[in-house]
Amino acid sequence: MTQPTKPKPLGLSASPPPGPQGVLGRFLAAQLEGSRPKLWRTAFFVILAVVVGLSLIVPNHHPHFVYDAKPFFWPIFGLVAGVILVFLVKKVIQPIIKRPEDHYGDL
Amino acid sequence: MATSEFFHPSLAFLMMAAVLPFLPGNRRWKWLLLLPPLAAIYAAFHNQPGDHLTLTWLGLTLKLGHVDPLSQVFTQVFAVMSLAGILYSLHVSDKGQHLAALLYVTGGFGCLMAGDFLTLFVFWELMSIGSTFLVMLNRTRESVLAAFRYFIYHTFGGLLLLAGLLLRYRLTGSFDFGTIDPAAATYADWLILAGFCVNAAVVPLHAWLPDAYPRGTVTGSVFMCAYTTKTAVYVLARAFPGWDILAIAGTIMAVYGVIFASMENNARRILSYHIVSQVGYMVAGIGVGTAMTINGASAHAYAHILYKGLLFMGVGAVLYSTGTQKLDQLGGLAPRLPWVMVFYMVAALSISGMPLFNGFVSKTMTITGAAEAHRFWVAIGLELAAVGTFISVGLKLPYFAFWGGKKPDYQRELKPIPLNMYVGMAFLAALCLAQGLYPHMLYSYLPEPQTAFEYHPWTSWNVLQALMLLGFSGLAFFLMRKVIEPHKALNLDFDWFYRLTGRGVLALICRPFAAVDSVWTDVWNKIALRFLVTLAKISSWFDRWVIDTVVDGSAYGVRGIGQLASMTQNGRLQHYLALAIVLALIVFAVIWYGL
Repeated sequence: MTQPTKPKPLGLSASPPPGPQGVLGRFLAAQLEGSRPKLWRTAFFVILAVVVGLSLIVPNHHPHFVYDAKPFFWPIFGLVAGVILVFLVKKVIQPIIKRPEDHYGDL
Repeated sequence: MATSEFFHPSLAFLMMAAVLPFLPGNRRWKWLLLLPPLAAIYAAFHNQPGDHLTLTWLGLTLKLGHVDPLSQVFTQVFAVMSLAGILYSLHVSDKGQHLAALLYVTGGFGCLMAGDFLTLFVFWELMSIGSTFLVMLNRTRESVLAAFRYFIYHTFGGLLLLAGLLLRYRLTGSFDFGTIDPAAATYADWLILAGFCVNAAVVPLHAWLPDAYPRGTVTGSVFMCAYTTKTAVYVLARAFPGWDILAIAGTIMAVYGVIFASMENNARRILSYHIVSQVGYMVAGIGVGTAMTINGASAHAYAHILYKGLLFMGVGAVLYSTGTQKLDQLGGLAPRLPWVMVFYMVAALSISGMPLFNGFVSKTMTITGAAEAHRFWVAIGLELAAVGTFISVGLKLPYFAFWGGKKPDYQRELKPIPLNMYVGMAFLAALCLAQGLYPHMLYSYLPEPQTAFEYHPWTSWNVLQALMLLGFSGLAFFLMRKVIEPHKALNLDFDWFYRLTGRGVLALICRPFAAVDSVWTDVWNKIALRFLVTLAKISSWFDRWVIDTVVDGSAYGVRGIGQLASMTQNGRLQHYLALAIVLALIVFAVIWYGL
């Protein structure tokens, strides 16, 4: 999968040195250090809780189906559908239709 | 071809394609490539509705410049996307790739502006040829083979369309390309629908897409992901709105694409399956056929072209830089390609329908429209697909490409990404955000703007609903992240049947030919050669010179016939192209004169 064309970087310097790139790269690298991943995880759970809490206050004027007017419909739908989908796909469907990568003679 | 109030966008791309091969090789010509997209954007905003460029040819009326609200919105997004695609591919020095892209886009605009089926067919085939070269010019063995399969399959689709449109002419006496009433459908209309469905990647006719797109050039796939399927969506919206079978087919596509994307390891193939899935939303919207869902399909096509182009750009940049698109070989790249990650995430959140991004204002419109038309299963199927979309494109792909639970990958050698690729990505990312924040930017160009303005995506409940749906599918991903880890494998799809059919046809044709050939060889060896040898012996007794002439002459003759025969099987694309045209002409002749 190599491009036959020689790239002429328009204005950028040659090969980027190994290591995080620029301010954003250093920021992202820092998020992988120490307790930061845990912090992000906690933030994610807090946001979920806040969103569900708000959904109990804000009225739903136009339910699409009958059930989605009930509280907790969408959190349950998202979680259950997601878990079942991943499980079905990776544990049931893929083992049946999986073949070696070069099954058709190419990659 | 240009009049005061009409300019055909194809013309600009065609002229550029005609000039490009003759421009000197110092690569200054690359700046000229920006002219056709700019001309197309100008045309998209200034062409007035009506029929322009009407030609009369052999007693047929060809309408090359049909403009109406539906074609205007598609013209606009095609034009914007052509600018983004050209920006992204400016660093490519291979003129062939630019030429293929220009011709491909020419075909796309031609289809949008076609007012009759014959014009549509010509540009339809031009797209098929252009995109074949965009795959093949990747110049790997895999991509050349994939290009052949792609071309054969699209020739088949094109022949369905051709047969359908000619039969339709026999029945109705006109080539007019307008809405077809499902109640009065004939078999000709079903053939046309089947031809369109090949290009729209309707399951089970879809497998060409995840076969070819991951093997195109980095820049070529960015073009292809925008035009082929969306041209098909446009022609479906024009001819087949309210056809119930499309509502069902679209919902199946939406879920099917997500299922295959969730198990794939190849990043561009994940995105390809998501084209099937996202085009499913549009096809379903067309099938439901209310003003709101047609709007939703058009809006989603617009938003989809922008974010899908951006997704292919982001993954293309990773492929360009690392040399691989297999997720099991990637990971830990976020600190080293931070901006690629950011632009990719803008597109990934757009396709997932996250508030702030354009998928949110287009996807919800189709789903709400389906629910309001009391299509319960369509709406719930599309919501289900939204869960899977966020899990596979919004989380799985970026997680395993940029993070992957791995330490940052500082050792891998990365090829520097040219600035113009970043410019192309930034341009589309800005548009994705702008449309999400100001839905009127999108809604005011829809075919039914009045209905569009009655829909308000930014209500507090809609935002909460999207955040709950996506937040908790995110939680599902978090819980299942060990299960969903991609492994290298090939997942069988419907192309297994295509290959079987291909081999069957080959056997059906080759066996009789091989049998005839072997008999002929026998006859030649036993009779003709012996006769010649005998003749030679007799002749040599008189004159050696005559024998030489006979043998040489027959040898030349045999070689000539052999060359002709080998033309059909030597795998040169130009010969296949010629063969495809001959096939098309035969179908044309059979129907035109035979019925």
